[in-house]
Amino acid sequence: MTATTEVAAAVPLAAPPTSPDPRKPRLRRGGGGTFDRRPGFLTYGILGVLLLINVYPLWWSVVVGSRNNQALSSDWPPLLPGGNFWINVGEVMDSIPFWKALGNSLIISGVITVSVVLFSTLAGYAFAKLKFKGRNGLMVFVITTMAIPTQLGIIPLFILMKQWGWTGEIGAVIVPTLVTAFGVFFMRQYLVDVIPDELIEAARVDGASMIGTFWHVAVPAARPAMAILSLFTFMSAWTDFLWPLLVLDATNPTLQTALSQLQSARYVDFSIVLTGAVLSTLPLLILFFVAGRQLISGIMQGAVKG
Amino acid sequence: MRLSRRKTAALIAGTSALILVATGCSGGGESGGGDGEGDVNLTITTFGTFGYDDLYAEYEAANPGITITPNNIDTGGNARTDAFQKIASGGLSDVVAIEEGWLGAIQEVSSEFVDLNDYGAQDIKDNWVDWKFAQGTDAEGRVIGYGTDIGPQGLCYNRTLFEEAGFPSDRESVAELFGGEDATWEKYIELGKQYQAATGKAWIDQASFVWNSMINQLDEGYYTADGELNIEGNAEMEERWAQVNDMIASDLSAGSVRWDWGGGKEFVDGTFATFVCPGWMLGNIKTNLETGGGDASTGWDFADVFPGGASNWGGAFLSVAGSSEHPEEAAALATWLTAPEQQVKQFEAAGTFPSTIEAQETLASEAAPNELFGGAPVGAILASRAQGVTAQYKGPDDSVIQENVFQAVIDQIQSGDLNAETGWAEAMKLTDELVG
Amino acid sequence: MTTTTTPAPPAATAPQPERKPPLAFTGLTRRQRLGKWDVKLSPYLYISPFFILFGLIGLFPLLYTFVVSLYDWHLLKGQGDFIGFDNFVAVLGDRFFWNSLGNTLSIFLLSSIPQLACAIVIAAILDQHLRAKTFWRMSVLLPYIVTPVAVSLIFTNMFNEQYGLINNFLGNFGIDAIPWKTETLPSHIAIATMVNFRWTGYNALILLAAMQSVPRDIHESAALDGAGAIRRFLSITIPSIKPTLIFVIITATIGGLQIFSEPRLFDPVTAGGNARQFQTTVLYLWEMAFFRLDFGKASAIAFLLFLIIMAIGFVNFLVTTRIGGSERTAKPGGKIGRTGTRTGTGTGTRKGLTK
Repeated sequence: MTATTEVAAAVPLAAPPTSPDPRKPRLRRGGGGTFDRRPGFLTYGILGVLLLINVYPLWWSVVVGSRNNQALSSDWPPLLPGGNFWINVGEVMDSIPFWKALGNSLIISGVITVSVVLFSTLAGYAFAKLKFKGRNGLMVFVITTMAIPTQLGIIPLFILMKQWGWTGEIGAVIVPTLVTAFGVFFMRQYLVDVIPDELIEAARVDGASMIGTFWHVAVPAARPAMAILSLFTFMSAWTDFLWPLLVLDATNPTLQTALSQLQSARYVDFSIVLTGAVLSTLPLLILFFVAGRQLISGIMQGAVKG
Repeated sequence: MRLSRRKTAALIAGTSALILVATGCSGGGESGGGDGEGDVNLTITTFGTFGYDDLYAEYEAANPGITITPNNIDTGGNARTDAFQKIASGGLSDVVAIEEGWLGAIQEVSSEFVDLNDYGAQDIKDNWVDWKFAQGTDAEGRVIGYGTDIGPQGLCYNRTLFEEAGFPSDRESVAELFGGEDATWEKYIELGKQYQAATGKAWIDQASFVWNSMINQLDEGYYTADGELNIEGNAEMEERWAQVNDMIASDLSAGSVRWDWGGGKEFVDGTFATFVCPGWMLGNIKTNLETGGGDASTGWDFADVFPGGASNWGGAFLSVAGSSEHPEEAAALATWLTAPEQQVKQFEAAGTFPSTIEAQETLASEAAPNELFGGAPVGAILASRAQGVTAQYKGPDDSVIQENVFQAVIDQIQSGDLNAETGWAEAMKLTDELVG
Repeated sequence: MTTTTTPAPPAATAPQPERKPPLAFTGLTRRQRLGKWDVKLSPYLYISPFFILFGLIGLFPLLYTFVVSLYDWHLLKGQGDFIGFDNFVAVLGDRFFWNSLGNTLSIFLLSSIPQLACAIVIAAILDQHLRAKTFWRMSVLLPYIVTPVAVSLIFTNMFNEQYGLINNFLGNFGIDAIPWKTETLPSHIAIATMVNFRWTGYNALILLAAMQSVPRDIHESAALDGAGAIRRFLSITIPSIKPTLIFVIITATIGGLQIFSEPRLFDPVTAGGNARQFQTTVLYLWEMAFFRLDFGKASAIAFLLFLIIMAIGFVNFLVTTRIGGSERTAKPGGKIGRTGTRTGTGTGTRKGLTK
C-alpha cells in the first residue's frame, strides 16, 4: 500500500528520454567543476568513508548475527564474524516461517509488479497516443491522485477484507496495490515522446487492430520504462509493512512482518534478530549485485532523461 | 537507462522465473489446514516466556496427525493488541493465551471464544484453585479459558551484591532481613536506601514493577469489585504512590528499559540488586540472564518473602477461538497443556507457577532446587508465597491503566520529566483520556 | 495476455483497394465498422482497468474513511450510531494527536534537511570523472535495498541506551550514554537516522542525474570567466537542480508524513515510547484503531492526516510553480524548460517535475 508514495519518491522526475539521438555529445557527462581532471585523494577518501558508513550497519549485523549477545557489550565492537551463524540461522527458522514468508513476499511483489506495469502501460499508452473524449480531464485526474495518500484508507480496507473473508490471505495484501496513479503517469510521460505518431498510423494503415498496435508498437518501445517501473514497484511492494501487518497473521506472513515477529519472539536475543535481518536482506542483496547497474541507471533515468 | 533489449528481456525473464519458483514453492505447502488426510494443524499464540516448546513436541509425538504452529509475542501488552486485531479480522489462532490483566476486556467479547463446557470443562473444573477457574468463566457461565499459571510473588535478590553491601545473603536470613511474614514496603525501601548508600548502586531495575506489585496486593485494584474505576481519591493507592516516588527520588531505581535490560546484561553487571518476582518472571530472568552472559555464579537467588504480604501479579489462560476450524482438537490441546502434569513441566521450563492444585502440591513437596537461582527450591517457595493469594477483580481496561497510564507516568518520573505530584495528576488525566 | 481480443484480421478479407475507400461509397464494410468501434472503444478499454481498480481499492476506501469517521465505530462491535463530527472534535481536542503531528513533523525535518544536504554533496562528489564510477554509485545506493523493517531492527539495536553500539562507542571517549529512546529529541534523531541511512544515497543519485543534465558549456564558460569550483557549484549547479530538488522534497513529504515502521519497531513494547515521545501520527492512528479499538476516531485521524498532506502538497505545488516560473526567466538562454514543452534536441532539455 505504500506503493504510491514510495514509487513516487523513487522517481521524482518522470521524464522520457530525449529523442533518441545517437549523436548526443558525450562531454556532457561529468559536468561538475573539475572537468577532465581526475579527482584527487580527497574525493576518494570521502567516498571511502561513505562506503564504510553504508556498509557498516549490515556488516555489524553479520558480525553480531554470527556471534551471540556478548558481542554487543564490549566497548569496541568486534570486527569479524564469529562461528555462531548457522546456529542462529536455525533459531531464526525455528522462530518464524522464513521460507513461507520469502515465498509470500515474492508472490505478492511479483503479482503487484506485473499488474501495475501491465495496467500502467495500457493506460499510459492510451493517454499518450490515442485520442478519445475526456482524455485531458482524465489525465488531470490521474495527476492529482498521484499526490493522494491512498494508504490512509486502511480502516475501510480492513473492514472490507474482513467482510470478504480475505484476512490472513496474501490476496488481501495484493489487491489494494494492483494499480498506481504514478505508474500511469510515468508510462504516459515516457510513451508520449518515445513513439512517433507516424509509427502508430503506419501500423493501423497496415491493418493492425488497436490491441495489435499496442502490442507490436507500444510495448516494445515501452520496455525500458516498463523495466524501471517494475524495479520500483517490486521494491515498494517488497518493503511494505503496515498493511501486511494488519491483514496477515503469524502463520502466513511476508518477510517484513515475519521479521518484526522475530523481533517480538526473540526480544532479548539481539544476535538472532540481527541474523534474521541479514537473512531477509540477502535476496535483495543478491539481486543488487546482479542488477545493481540497471537499478542505478533506472533511478537516474527516472530522475532525468539521460 | 540504456537497457539493451537483451538485458531487458533477461530482467523480465528472471523476474518471472522468480515468481514462478515462488508460486511453485508455496503452492505445495500452503494448505493451511494440514497436508495429509485427517491431519490437523493447530496454531497457538503465547507471549513472554511460556515454556511450551518441549510440550508442543511431546503433544505432536503423542498425537500423530496433529501439528502445532506456535507464535510467541514478546509482551502481554503486544499480545493484547494482536489478539484484538485478530478478533476483528477473524484471524485468531486456534488456541490463544490471554493475560489476566486484559481478561476483563476479553470477557466483554467472550462470545468470540469457544465455550469449553462443550469440551468437558466441568469434568476437570476441580483441578484448579477456585478463583482461577472462576476468572475464566464469563457472566453467562461459559468457560472461555483454562488457567495456565498464577503469579504469586517472591523476592529475587543478588547474593553477591548483597554481600558487597554487607547484607546477609542466604535466603533465610534475607527473608528475615526484610521482615519475614511482616515484611513491609517501608522496610524494603529503607533497606534499599542502606544498600544505595553502601554501594552507590540501584536497588531495583525500574519502579513500575514495584508499583504493579503494590496494586495487585490491594483488595481492590484499579477497579472496585463491582467494576467501578477506583483510582481517584483512593487513599491506599496514593500512599503506595508516595512510596514508589520515594524510591525514585532516593535513586533506588536504575531507570532500566523493562523487557530489554540492555539485552539482559543488566542482570549480570550488578546494575540492580533486587527484583519483584512473580513465578513467570523467573523464566524471563532466566532468558535475560543467559542472553546477557550470566549464569548461576552471577548470584541471583529467590527468597520466601514479599513486602506487604501475599501478592499475585499476572497469570494466564488458554482460550479456543470461536473462529477455529478445529475447535475440538484445539480444546483438547488447551486441556492437555493446562493439565497438572504439564503445568509442572511448564514450571520447570519457565518458572510459571501452576494454577492447578495438584501441580502446586507436587512442586511444594518436591522442592527441587533451581541451580540458576542459587539452588533455591523455587517451586516450594512460590507455593508458600501463594498462600493467601486471592483474585483481584480485573476491569476491562486494567492492562491499559497498568501499562499506558501508570507505567508511562512512572517512566516519565524516572526520566525527570514529571514528579510525584504532577505525575499523579497526569495519571488521572491519562486515565480519563484513555479509559473514560 | 499476449493474444488477447481482436486478432489482426486475415489479410485476405482486407483487399487492397479498401485502404482508401472512395468517399462516394456508401456503407462501411463489417471490418471497417468493427475497426471504427475498435478505435473508439479501445482507449476506454485500456484505461478502464486502472480507473476501476483505482476507484475500488484506492479512492473508495479513502472516501469511506470519512464515512466511518462520522460514526461510533468499535473495532469489535462494528458500526454504531451516527455522531456527526464528534470524532473530529474529539481528535482535534486530543493532545496526543497534536503530539503525534509535532513528532511527525520533527522527525520529518530532522530526516529531510540533513538528508538533502548530504545528498547534494554526495551527488556533487559523484559528478566527477571518477574511476570505478559504477562501484561508487552502487556503494551509495546499497542501503536502499535494506528494507525499512530490517533497517529499524539493526538501528534499534545500535541505539540501545544500555549496551548499544553507539553508546558503547561514545563511552570510549568519556561521553555519557545518550538517552536515545527515552528523551524526545534524541529519539527523533535516532529515527531520522534510520530514514537518512536508507534514502540519502538514493536521493544523491537522483540529484546526480539532474546535475549531469546541466549543459557542460555553462560550466566551462563560467570557469573561463574565473569562477571557482565552489562558486560554480552554488550559482550554476544548485539553481539548475532546483526543480529536481523540489520534487524530491514533495515526495519525501508525502512519504515522511506517513512514517510508521521505524517508530513502531524502535520500541516494540510501546506505541511510540512510554511518553509518546516519538509517536507519529500513523502510529497514533494504529493505536487508536487496534489498541483502543476506536475505528471512528482512527478514521478521523486518517482523514485529518489526509487533508494535511493534501494541503502541504498544494502549497508545494504553488511554491514549485512560482520557483519554476522565475527560474525559467533566470536561466540564460532558457535552456532548461520547466514543463513538458520540448525545447528541441538540445542537450539541456529536461522534463519538468510538477506537471
